[in-house]
Amino acid sequence: MSHSGTKVVQYMITVVVLLTLNFFLPRMMPGDPLAYLMGDPGADSPMLLTEEMRANLLEYYGLDKPLVGQYWDYVSGLARGDLGWSIYFNAPVGSVILGRLKWTLVVGGTAAVVYIALGIVLGAFSAWHRGGSADVGLMIGIFSLGSWPPFFLGMVLIVFFSGRWGLLPIGGAQSAEAARLGGIVQVRSILRHGFLPVLTLVLTHLPGMYLITRNAMLSVLGEDYVRTARAKGVLESIVLLRHALPNAILPVVTTVGMRVGFMLMGTMFVEVVFAYPGMGTLIYEAGTARDYPLLQGAFLVTMVFVLVLNLAADVVYGWLDPRVRRLRAGD
Amino acid sequence: MSNTSRWLGIIGWGVLGFFALVALLAPWIAPHDPKALDEPMLPPSLTHPLGTNDIGQDVLSELVYGARFSLLVGALAAGFSTVVGVILGVLAGYYDRFGFALMRIVDVFLAVPRFPLIVFLAAFLKPGFWTLVFFFMFFGWTKTARLIRSQVLTERHHGFVEAAVAVGADDVRILARHLLPGTASIGLVRFIVEFQHVILAESGLSFLGLGDPTVKSWGSMLRYAFEYPTIFISDVWVRWAAPPGVCITLVVLGLTFVGFALETWANPRLERRAG
Repeated sequence: MSHSGTKVVQYMITVVVLLTLNFFLPRMMPGDPLAYLMGDPGADSPMLLTEEMRANLLEYYGLDKPLVGQYWDYVSGLARGDLGWSIYFNAPVGSVILGRLKWTLVVGGTAAVVYIALGIVLGAFSAWHRGGSADVGLMIGIFSLGSWPPFFLGMVLIVFFSGRWGLLPIGGAQSAEAARLGGIVQVRSILRHGFLPVLTLVLTHLPGMYLITRNAMLSVLGEDYVRTARAKGVLESIVLLRHALPNAILPVVTTVGMRVGFMLMGTMFVEVVFAYPGMGTLIYEAGTARDYPLLQGAFLVTMVFVLVLNLAADVVYGWLDPRVRRLRAGD
Repeated sequence: MSNTSRWLGIIGWGVLGFFALVALLAPWIAPHDPKALDEPMLPPSLTHPLGTNDIGQDVLSELVYGARFSLLVGALAAGFSTVVGVILGVLAGYYDRFGFALMRIVDVFLAVPRFPLIVFLAAFLKPGFWTLVFFFMFFGWTKTARLIRSQVLTERHHGFVEAAVAVGADDVRILARHLLPGTASIGLVRFIVEFQHVILAESGLSFLGLGDPTVKSWGSMLRYAFEYPTIFISDVWVRWAAPPGVCITLVVLGLTFVGFALETWANPRLERRAG
């Protein structure tokens, strides 16, 4: 089986594992299965059920069927795009998630582009000036900033930019007015609201990208082909850009693929701190409200998303690395 | 070892040592029982150097005991993960069929993003201290195992292993006395990285209110500070939110520096290469 074939199969297995985990987890929860559907009993809705009502509800939700039957219902529901009904929002889980997903992509996506690009540039620069004051200073500076836990960093930024200097809003994705007015006003509001979250994310994840690139560049710069290029008299900048960097990028791609989950964690913290209406806050709210269907759906979507990104990173790597390309061509 | 690495190492160990000491001596250093209640939101004074929080607990004592919890969870989880990862990795590297099977399992584990899963589990299962340690350990061993396995795969063809086999050493001896020591450098680095991840994740979980509610941790201090209505516009954050945040940062930074110094120490070639 070809390399990409095995990978895809692997990912599919992981998806199945995740689906099954997602299915079993609420059922393993201590207590009443109806509590799962109705939210935490005794918390908000004191519902007194007669035996008959219970039986009816169990039948309605298909909970009286054997486990296999329930699993089949679950999977077929997913195939139809039915993720359940959110108790907290009183809406289909799918639509709630869709509404939130775009904001996470806005903030997380923008930040990712920035810190990946910046990390590569700074890492390469550092490697080039290895050991010099620029390198050491950059390294210490970047690491000092990146060691901050993202939620704390966010809080500090809010205190200064919003609290003290009143330059930027405290939270949210856009002001309600701007959403209503649309157009350039809305765009400006979104940019203003998104600036601090993106900044926090960039600062949190920059050190990782920077370090990987720097290390990759350092190993590459010690390779024979770089020495040959230099011996041939190639300009140092060309050596860096056209000989070293393309090869150093490869481990960076792999690392980005591996770190997607970690990046998601950072996004989640940042969203909560800035009250940004993305998937992160959704998971948080669903968890706090014990809205299990929503939590389940959000979790599933998040995991699938991460898997897709992992797979994409693998594919991109295979496409970039000419050795792998040649290997695949020979399949 | 270059001057920079040496200095970074010294600073790193110094910071870590300081916090470890604070964590160990917490009951003697903390001025009050962190759960004892006084008047809420008191400003800093002699009795309460950092004031009190929103329900009247001494912030400094919270901070000191928080060191205990955060460092303990981090050290235990990272320690267990590393030990398990190294052992499984060595076995996987030496025994091919086991290794292959284990790596497929590791693949699945690694493809699953740790943190959303932990959030999910925490929301359902409301973890206490040991459950948390178990969670982190459960996911932490995989990368280490994979890295160690790669190393063992290369090393087992090296001269010293073949010599041991030729002399008639049994498997256990080869594994324990020849292959295992070589894993120390990778193991150390992985321990440090895992430690950092766990501290960040644990404080993050506590920040989200998904950790152990009965325990004082730096993350939970930040959580209550964050939920306090005027936290962003008053000066309270300096004495209440900044200390735990800075502490987490310092520990992570200390670990980074130590890790950096260790890597250079274990791998002097890293410094000399690059022409």
